[in-house]
Amino acid sequence: MWEGLIEKITDYKWRIPKSYKPGMRVEGVIYASEKMLSQIKKDNAPEQVANVAFLPGIVKYSLAMPDIHWGYGFCIGGVAATDPEEGGVISPGGVGFDINCGVRLLKTNLELGDVKDKISKIVDVLYQNVPSGVGSRGQIRVSNQEERRLLLEGARWAVKKGFGIGEDLEVCEERGSIEGADPDSVSERAYERGKQQAGTLGSGNHFLEVQVVDDIYDREVAEKLGLFIGQITVMIHSGSRGFGYQVCDDYVRVMIKCLDKYNIRVPDRQLACAPINSPEAKNYIGAMKSAANYAWANRQVLMHLVRESFEKVFSKSWQSLGMYLIYDVAHNIAKFEKYIIDGQEKVLCVHRKGATRAFGPGHKELPEKYKDMGQPVIIPGDMGRASYLLVGTKKAEEESFSSTCHGAGRLKSRHEAIRTGDFNTLIKELSSKGIEVRATGKKTVLEEAPSAYKNVDEVAEVVCKAGLSKKVCRMKPLCVVKG
Amino acid sequence: MGKEFEFFEHTADIGVRIYAQSIEELFENSARALFSLITGNRDILPNLEKEIILEAQNIEELLVNWLNELISVFFTYKFLPKSYNIRIKEKDPYKLEALLKGSEYDPYINEVKTEVKAATYHNLKIEKTPGGYKAEVIFDV
Repeated sequence: MWEGLIEKITDYKWRIPKSYKPGMRVEGVIYASEKMLSQIKKDNAPEQVANVAFLPGIVKYSLAMPDIHWGYGFCIGGVAATDPEEGGVISPGGVGFDINCGVRLLKTNLELGDVKDKISKIVDVLYQNVPSGVGSRGQIRVSNQEERRLLLEGARWAVKKGFGIGEDLEVCEERGSIEGADPDSVSERAYERGKQQAGTLGSGNHFLEVQVVDDIYDREVAEKLGLFIGQITVMIHSGSRGFGYQVCDDYVRVMIKCLDKYNIRVPDRQLACAPINSPEAKNYIGAMKSAANYAWANRQVLMHLVRESFEKVFSKSWQSLGMYLIYDVAHNIAKFEKYIIDGQEKVLCVHRKGATRAFGPGHKELPEKYKDMGQPVIIPGDMGRASYLLVGTKKAEEESFSSTCHGAGRLKSRHEAIRTGDFNTLIKELSSKGIEVRATGKKTVLEEAPSAYKNVDEVAEVVCKAGLSKKVCRMKPLCVVKG
Repeated sequence: MGKEFEFFEHTADIGVRIYAQSIEELFENSARALFSLITGNRDILPNLEKEIILEAQNIEELLVNWLNELISVFFTYKFLPKSYNIRIKEKDPYKLEALLKGSEYDPYINEVKTEVKAATYHNLKIEKTPGGYKAEVIFDV
């Protein structure tokens, strides 16, 4: 139980004052309802919000979204912006091991009636076609030279190789290919580790899910996106696999040494960091961006495999099934973005560790077709309840460095989920809701049981009540492939 | 022989508490804890050798580097260790030399229980106890 100092700002916003811990440069702010806050205080996550406030050059506050839970270094659901001109740092721990872990959402022109009798077939074909599981190996074989191109071009590389179409790139954050990737900053080990896993889903909380739209909150935006009640959608959650883990490991080792070198004092060594303008940080940024591109290429390939699976089940082309991408978001990443701070435009380094970018309407980074509605934000829930599609707001730009939540957030540890759950009961429960699951192991399914997560309805409610996002629609799961 | 290690709860990840009589044994038992998560106890024929040499600024960092090196070597080169001959000299206490015996274990063919992404520095502790040493490490899974 965390018993630190926390003050109410509004019904959905709480402050950890700077005075809580000597060394905090800014205050901590947690977005949560009163009910959620008591749950949040059960583990050490608020302490981590305070620890992040120690980072040199941090601007305004150390933020946490309502899906906050205990991580390592940063909490999950944490957001911190640092100013390079004020000695601001970048921390690999503020991005995490799974660099550019993220989500994409595809629509279809299928309705519930079209798939109702085919759910088992769909999930079986997806399970067969999409490599999943801990050590899953992709069907793509890349040489070192080819991997270099993949790291530079991300999803654009995948499209060039025939995995999808140019139009897909228009609706990816950074158009699926972030500028500034530097493959020379990537270790041999990471190259080697990454080669085997391109085009694989992975394990843990990564998944593929076929869903049905069951509630619409903003008819106008939903219509513009071509979404309607009863429609089938597909969600893909994956990241940069072993490649990203290796990049993070390599650079935490480098940055641990930077703490002494640059005289930086942080309360947790997993917050190891370096000034953004230092050579160590420049190398990390080049390698992190390479990993981000690896993840975008990966999700692009996974989407292609999903489209092929549907083609197989319905004997129609994916185009005639209307399987177009709505959007792709990164939720473990550091980005350089412009904000007005005290009347001055600044380029800040925004760390999002389990948080999603949420640009409001009119933002110049948005694709033309989304400019008037704001950026689509995809919030996966647990496999038994629901997921959400939201859009970003102007208020998020002013308040939270254009950030919002990234999922439901864990409630129980994996051990506790296994200890308190029973595989057969869980499968029966899901099946009574019409949900089918395929997974490589029983353990993963139990670890990912709905009861191990917070209620995504409550998380989405908080970010919307706080004005950081607007609800568009909710999707219920029909079948799930877990790693 | 007493308990080598035990796992403890952490919301998103997995914590392990390791016990040993010597610092070398602490490193060995931490490796055993790691692979009990990744592959479980496997009866393998140790027909391959691998040398690992690592240096760090302090003992905690050396432990994290060691565990991350083993994760990396396993997922990159498919090397599953069975025995560990670890040397940490008193006059050079933050340098580790290890000769591992093990075998090829392809994680892309064989069963892997948990994909451990990395060992972290979060809440990392190494303590001297009356019986030797105790350490706590949190793995990102």
